[in-house]
Amino acid sequence: MEIDAVSLTAVTKSFGAVRAVDGLTLAIPRGQTVALLGPNGAGKSTTIGMLLGLIPPDSGKTAIFGIDPGQAVRQGLAGAMPQEGGLIPRVTIRELLTFIAGTYRAPLPLEQVLALALMTGLEDRRVDKLSGGQAQRVRFAMALVGDPDLIVLDEPTAALDVEARREFWNGMRTLTGRGKTVLFSTHYLDEADEQADRVVVIDRGHVVADGTSAEIKKIVALTTVSVTAVGEVAWLGDLPGVSRLEVRGDRVHLRSADPDATVMALAQAGAVRNLEVTPADLEDAFVALTAKETV
Amino acid sequence: MFGYIRLELLRTIRDGGFIIFGIASPVVMYLVLSNLALAPGDRHTGAIVTMVSMAAYGALGGAFNNGSGIAEDRAAGWLRQLRLTPLAPAQVVTGKVITGVLGVVPSIAAVLLTGVLVNHVTLSPWQWLSIVGLLWAGTIPFSLLGLGNGYALTGQTAGMANIAAFLGLSIVGGLWVPTAGFPGWLRAIAEWTPSNSYAALSWDVASGTAPGARAVVILCGWLVVFGLWALYAYRRAGRTA
Repeated sequence: MEIDAVSLTAVTKSFGAVRAVDGLTLAIPRGQTVALLGPNGAGKSTTIGMLLGLIPPDSGKTAIFGIDPGQAVRQGLAGAMPQEGGLIPRVTIRELLTFIAGTYRAPLPLEQVLALALMTGLEDRRVDKLSGGQAQRVRFAMALVGDPDLIVLDEPTAALDVEARREFWNGMRTLTGRGKTVLFSTHYLDEADEQADRVVVIDRGHVVADGTSAEIKKIVALTTVSVTAVGEVAWLGDLPGVSRLEVRGDRVHLRSADPDATVMALAQAGAVRNLEVTPADLEDAFVALTAKETV
Repeated sequence: MFGYIRLELLRTIRDGGFIIFGIASPVVMYLVLSNLALAPGDRHTGAIVTMVSMAAYGALGGAFNNGSGIAEDRAAGWLRQLRLTPLAPAQVVTGKVITGVLGVVPSIAAVLLTGVLVNHVTLSPWQWLSIVGLLWAGTIPFSLLGLGNGYALTGQTAGMANIAAFLGLSIVGGLWVPTAGFPGWLRAIAEWTPSNSYAALSWDVASGTAPGARAVVILCGWLVVFGLWALYAYRRAGRTA
């Protein structure tokens, strides 16, 4: 069996009385792009910190390509972009990236890194005189200049505007096309949906869902089937697949785990009037998943 | 690690604080103190003593400025970024210490050159060699104090603590005004300061005598104290980083 790029086993971390990560287990095979999705305070950054060997876990095991994370970083197997910081004043982009590259055994050529991070032509600018989007791309470039097999990005687009986010992900796609393993955290649901092969939803320090974004939506069964109906409508709630019924005016909204079966049953009952089927977006799935835990 | 030292030296040279406290201020003060405050007969001796004082003052400025840089690096997340590269933490610390040691060279050189070129200071070759060596090696305790403050305190606080330590040690240690003019109680304190011992080694050499054993012992004592402080602060910062 091939060794996983990332392996976290029953990892736990508390800060004082707060249990930031609570028995989290996650394995990522080589080549996957995985989104770590969760609200603020879900434990994403702590999980990433432990994975990279920056934060020692209270218990549990962490490994990158089967070895200790600190050792893996030392060997240049992993590159990372923390949520914030990492840029120093009074150096140019070229000086900074040349230095970082020099710490790795087989770094990417500078031109290639600049192209990937959409910074060609900016290399002689001072790092402290960049816009927010440019600074973020320098931080991204620092994560990938060593050509590591695993790239970990903690909320890479949190500080960016819409345009900068789009550009950032364009650069990312070139990279994942090169067979790298990528783990990124985000609280932007659309990003997880669009950019990742696999979405791992975490909340309160452990994994609450894990799958493709389509699978996640399916797990929580949030497709809505709506029809126009008058009179007695309670029987619609007993149709196959339906988990919840909601009446707004003359519209009946049925939440269904199996929208095909629900629609068939509606048709057989002759109740199809102005039929509308709305697939759940990940946001609904996410709210449902994390709300389940709320007491 | 050479890449790291190179990068840090580039940043040092471009740092306004370093230029002001480490080079410009000691050179200007040297020119003022050696040409205005002295009777004509004492000019040459005065120029030599003040040259050593101001070179020591500038070297201290460079050493403390380097320590403040650590606090800035920590606040900027740069130390964490370095932990995400193949560089080992020990290499980073060693690199920063070497940067500090190399960073005081321009300060010492600037004042000594001003002494030679402007005030026509003449000393024998062995005196020059000894003074440069003593001024250089003697900055290590101050570098350690600066680094300790940089690791123990946050950004601005560390910067202020280091400037306070730098100016305080310079003044009380008699680098600005000779301790001979101090009131008795202050002179008693001055004789126990690391800065006074540090400069005294080179004052002795400049006046043609061997460095006093007392100054060597006091400076080494402070080296141990500041070294332990830096070690403690570094370990504590490692736990909370």
